[in-house]
This record gives sequence, structure tokens and C-alpha cells, in this order.
Amino acid sequence: MVDAARHPNIELLTYTEVKRVEGFIGNFKVLVEEKPRYVLMDRCNGCGACAPVCPIEVPNEFEEGLAPRKAIYIPHSQAVPLRYVIDIDHCIKCYKCVDACGKLDAIDFSQQPKQRWLDVGSIIVATGFDSFDPSELTEYGYGRYDNVITTLELERINNSAGPTAGQIIRPSDKKFPKKVAFIQCVGSRDERFNLYCSGFCCMYTIKNAVQWKLTYPDADITIFYMDIRTPSKGYEEFYRWAREMGIRFIQGRPALITEDPHTGNLFIQAEDVGLGQLIELESELVVLSTAAVPRADTEQMSSILNISRSPGGFFMEYHPKLRPVDSPTDGVFLAGAAQGPKDIPASVAQGSGAAARAARILNAERWEIEPIVAHVWEDRCISAQGKKCGICATKCPYNAIVVEQGKAAEVMPAKCHGCGGCVAECPHNAITQMHFTDAQILAQLHALLAKEPEKKIIAFMCHWCSYGGADNAGTSHFEYPASSRGIRVMCSARQDQDFVYEAFRLGAGMVLVSGCHPQDCHYITGQRVAAERFERLAKRLAEMGISPQRFRVEWISAAEGAKYAQVIREMDEVLRSFDPQALKEENERVRPELERRLRRLTEIPDVAKALEQVYA
Amino acid sequence: MSENGDLRIGVYVCHCGSNIAGVIDPKAVAEYAATLPDVVWATDQLYTCSDPGQRQIQEDIKKYHLNRVVVAACSVRLHEPTFRACVANAGLNPFLFEMANIREQDTWVHSHEPEAALQKAKDIVAAAVAKARFLTPLDMIEVPVTKAAMVIGGGIAGISAALDLADMGIKTYLVEKEPSIGGRMAQLNKTFPTMDCSI
Repeated sequence: MVDAARHPNIELLTYTEVKRVEGFIGNFKVLVEEKPRYVLMDRCNGCGACAPVCPIEVPNEFEEGLAPRKAIYIPHSQAVPLRYVIDIDHCIKCYKCVDACGKLDAIDFSQQPKQRWLDVGSIIVATGFDSFDPSELTEYGYGRYDNVITTLELERINNSAGPTAGQIIRPSDKKFPKKVAFIQCVGSRDERFNLYCSGFCCMYTIKNAVQWKLTYPDADITIFYMDIRTPSKGYEEFYRWAREMGIRFIQGRPALITEDPHTGNLFIQAEDVGLGQLIELESELVVLSTAAVPRADTEQMSSILNISRSPGGFFMEYHPKLRPVDSPTDGVFLAGAAQGPKDIPASVAQGSGAAARAARILNAERWEIEPIVAHVWEDRCISAQGKKCGICATKCPYNAIVVEQGKAAEVMPAKCHGCGGCVAECPHNAITQMHFTDAQILAQLHALLAKEPEKKIIAFMCHWCSYGGADNAGTSHFEYPASSRGIRVMCSARQDQDFVYEAFRLGAGMVLVSGCHPQDCHYITGQRVAAERFERLAKRLAEMGISPQRFRVEWISAAEGAKYAQVIREMDEVLRSFDPQALKEENERVRPELERRLRRLTEIPDVAKALEQVYA
Repeated sequence: MSENGDLRIGVYVCHCGSNIAGVIDPKAVAEYAATLPDVVWATDQLYTCSDPGQRQIQEDIKKYHLNRVVVAACSVRLHEPTFRACVANAGLNPFLFEMANIREQDTWVHSHEPEAALQKAKDIVAAAVAKARFLTPLDMIEVPVTKAAMVIGGGIAGISAALDLADMGIKTYLVEKEPSIGGRMAQLNKTFPTMDCSI
């Protein structure tokens, strides 16, 4: 902590939040907001004269609410930076602290939030985790029974710098408990809450038990566990040491805890799997080993940073095996429990890993990005003919298109992120996207529908989410019918309505357009542009006479393999429910209207060639 | 070798051990690919991403004057960078490469319908070849790099990352929401497995 504060290359921005992130790899602009401390960092010396005179007491978050703090406070005695802060929500503005501060004159109630933009080439997200709130598990009585606490609360009680100066006492009568039971997997490995294993809690509980036993060798300690997981270096040996020192391990997840209101003691009912029988254990204190859960602000951060979340809610890595530190956004990396529950050694290692991944970019003079940007055909743009348009610019999430009447629209390649929204929205087919041209996509469509089109589901997918979801279905081996045929574009915004018309013109049985959930969009507003288009399109298709069930819009994240598989299964079922002859007749009926709508398609460069029948 | 003259497409169908070949016959897919327009060479390989697999692609680019390459294997999200680099090393523009995902989106999800999976693989390869016929060479866009980093979160992972970056001479902003850095670890007394202190 202190090393970080002293390092000449580190600027510590505490009490500061990230509000916005713009830009791209090598060139991010981050808006940060420093909350007002109401204490001047350059004047406060951490002497602590202010806090004793403050009349307000509120629960101290750092002490898990077990001890009070004042409205002017430092979180703990070793805080970095060692500077006081005023909790303005609880401060009554009596100004006693101002008097106590005296000549230092470090208190300033006029402070306002301070915003500033910072330029950085890379970002590492290390926002950590929250602890599961065990009061949701009513059978253990946390919040009702005084002597049921969490491991983190025990951690503070059994800490010489904590509220009891390291004296272990139980909350109900402030007496030392001689008999204690720990319960594992509270909120994790539980279908009601979280399916995952939090990983570090076995060792964490064993550590707490060992620490207790070392200080009080006579203590009677029981750990209820489902499975003990101690796979890292030195961990199994640590577990063995705990058993040897007489800590009792019982395999079985307790079903119920009741309290004797007279003694405050607790009765734990469990099945001892080893003995194969139900047991009841009396304990003076029960410690719940709670799951690590995603931080409450994870969703907000994921939309600020444009990074998705895994099932379970933690930030998702680019690839679970080969790129475990990269986020899906180039130049943004993940470290620590923000990516998934992790212990200290793993967090340190991932922090170093993320630093190395970031340094790879930061130590380069220049970085190469993919040239999949938009490009305007000047001779097709009606703005160049002096007509008013500019639709492309209004759909661009990055202000990368300049439209000046009398000139063709101009795309600035460095600002364009390549979603393709402008390409699909241009009513005059005057824009293309490199590597995802209309000709390329229509050529794919024709190839996929060359044979038995009415038996096929065409699935348009966005690279980052729904295609990732389809890949996730694959890595998870979620079977679904083989009637779907995918076409990948970078963003759902690129999924042109003409592609859907053309699919139906060619006789496709079903069409799926898919992309990310709105908050996950890799291109800020690309998904919204697509969603609006698809809503209009669904109506238009129905008006034309295409059965509404044959066109489906779905938002599927890269983690939702199960959803992708389910959507295809459902669409396949619908497709099979149609009479093939009736489907063909419906296609024949709408074909003239589709052809009318598509008549200008072949004016687009290369498209005529792409539509030639080459697949006999 | 021409990039824009006559199209000369090479298609490589990967077995991926049994991941693909356990469900469909990659040879049948390659034989089908050979019948597609502008495909001058199509073959199957045990592991296309392996050294011998990539070397064969590079040799074939020279031998058959290939100017487009299609690999039917796993997801673009996994190996597109691998094969782009492979064809680039053989002198082909990396954007003249196209990938057909016949693993994650075919054999891994249709193992109970091998015949339908084979037909789907053929369609996926046909679509990739169709796209390849319209690919054009592209140049990467070079952007400058701001030599500064931001680490969001001042817990042990963030501190560890910030210190390493700073030691490499990189200006690092360490942003923490709370008034103090330290995070969860600062709350702990002793830590496993060494039983030493946390701060």
C-alpha cells in the first residue's frame, strides 16, 4: 500500500470514481470525479485531533459495522493516504472539527466534486468483489441471532487493530466463546443463489480456525463443509496441519440453526455424511463463510467500460483459457476478483499479468488496429449532389462521420470503430464497411441458401455477443438442431434490412437477427440502432405477408450459450410446424414485393456479381 | 503472386483431432470445397493450427499461387489471429484469409446429427469461400499510443498491477473509490498459507 503511494510513477486518486471512458486502445480518455473530502489533502497531516471532538457516531464500514466511527474519520489507522475525510451525509456541521484542526486549517466545507479527463493508453479493471449477504439464507438466522457472524466479521474481531483489540468475544454477551462452528459455502454452490465455488473460502476458514487454535489451543472448533478445496501450493499441507491440531471437519451442509434465547447458544442441525446420520451440534458462536459476489456497481462499470459479464456476474475475460486477463475490449484488462473469485496469490499474479499485457501496448510507439472501418462511395452519396441527408452521421456512436451538404459524407478512419451501423442505415447504399461489405455478406447468404432454403434458419450474429454466445453453446456442448446457418458481422447495427429481405427472397425458412444486450454494446449505441430498425422491419415483414414467427430478434450475450441454443431449438420447432408447401407458397406470394424493395441492391459495387448463381 | 487477378482459393479443413473428425468426415468437406468456384486446392489436416498445418498452408500459397485462404476449423474468436499471421508470413495480405467455424458452431453442438452436421459444415465452408471471393487486401490502421495507464481499484490486484506498470517506467493512475487503498486485504489479520500479516 505504502509502496504504491510513494512510487514516483503512480498518481494515487482516492475517493475518486470513473464516470466515462471514451476512445480506443492506446488512446483512451477517462473522465474521473474526485468526491469532496472536505479535508485538504495538502494540509491534513493525519494527526487525528478532529475525530475525538466530532459528536457523530456511525457504523464503521471497514470494521464491518462492529465498531463506530465519527463523521470525520480515516477508514483505519493504516489508511493510505493517511488523510481524514468528512462523511457529509452524517455531518451536522457543528464545525467542532474546524476548531480542533486549528492552525493547520485543513478543513474546507466549500469543496465540490472535481472532474477531470485523463489520457491513458490502457486500462486495468481491478474492482474486486462484495461478500454475499447471508441474511438471505434465513435458515442460518444471520441478522436474527446475535452469535451468527460472518468470517469477515470474525476477521475484524480477531485482529489486534480491530474493535476488540484482538480479544475474541461473541456479540450477545461479550464473552469468549470456547466452542465455535464454521459453515462453508454460504451463498455459493447453492442453486438458490450462486452456482459457482468462491474458491478461497475453504482456505480462508481453515486459516481463521488455525489462527484461533494457535492462540487458544483448548478451543473446540468444527468446520462444516461440502468439499474441502485446497489445490494450490502449500494449501493441502495447511489443511493437514489444521486437522492435526485438532480442528474437527464434518462433511455436511447444515440445514437449520436455532438459538437458545437464554444462553444465546446455537444448535446446528446437519447431516454428517461421513457417519451417514443426522447430528445436532451446540455452539457458542457460528461463523458463516460467505460467497464472493460481483460488486454492486459491476453493471454500471460494465457499461462504462463496454465489457461484458459472465454467468455469475463477474467481468468476462476475452477467452477463458487463452486470454484470461484480457477483457473483450482491446486495451482493457482484468485483474483480481473482479474477473471471478480469487485468493491473494492469484490476485497478485493476475495483477502482474494484466500489467504485462498492458505494458505490451504501452511500451510500443504505435499500435495497429483493424481496418474494418466504414467507407463512403462518393459518387453514390446524395449529399455530394447537394441534397440534404446526413442519416449516417446521426447513427454513428463515435461522431466519426462529417456531413457537409454539397460534399460526400466523410468517415474519419481513426475515430470509426467499425460497427457498420451507418452502412446499414444509409438509404442510398452509399457506404460500405471494409471486410464486411454488402457483396461479401450477400455472397455468404447465397451460399448458405443455395440448397433447400426453406429448411434453414439464417442467424445473423454480432461478433462480440451473440456469435460469442453461439461459441459458448459450442464450448458447453449444448446441442441444438443443425438447421441454423450463421452469418457474423461486427455489430447488430450492421445487419441491414436488405439482408433479411434477401434471405426471405431466396426462400429462407426463418431469419434470426441477434446482437448484444443494450448495456453490453461494444459500439455504445449500435444495438439501439439495430433494435429500432428490427422493430420497424418486423412490422413491415408482417405487412408483406411473411408469418411473424419466421422473423425473430434476440439479444444474447457471449456468456449465454444456453440461451442461443434454446432460441435455435425454438425456431427449429416453429419451422417444423409449418407445412413446407404452404411455406413455399408464402415465399412465392411475397417475392414480388421483396424484389421491388431490393431492386437497387445490385447497384452496389460487386453485389451483382455476388448474386450470380454459382452454386448449382 | 497476384492478389487481385484470377482468384485462386485454398481451403483447409481441420480435424481438430476428434473434435471435428469425431462427428463429420473432414475429407468429405474438403472434397466438396474443391468443387466450389475459384477453389484451386482443398485438403484436410489433423491440426491446421499446428506447425505442420500452418507450414503446409504457407508452402501451398507458393506452390499453387493461392491468393485467398479459407480455414474450416474453430471460431474466429480463437484462431483468426493465428492464421492471419500464418498467411501474412507467406506474403499474403492477412485480410485475404477467411475462417469457417465448423467446431463451436457445428460439430460441438450437433454431435447427435452427424449427417446434418456434415451438410452444415459444407454450407459453412461454401459461405466462407463465397466471402473469400470478394475479400480485398487491407492495411492495418496505425494509431499512436499514450504511454500512461489507469488501474481502477486499489485492492491487492490493482496495487500489484500499478506497481509493476510503474516499475516499467509507465505513468499510472491508481483510482480508488474509497478514501483509502488496500481493499479487502487490508481488513484481514493473518493470511494463508504463510500466516503473515496483510498490510
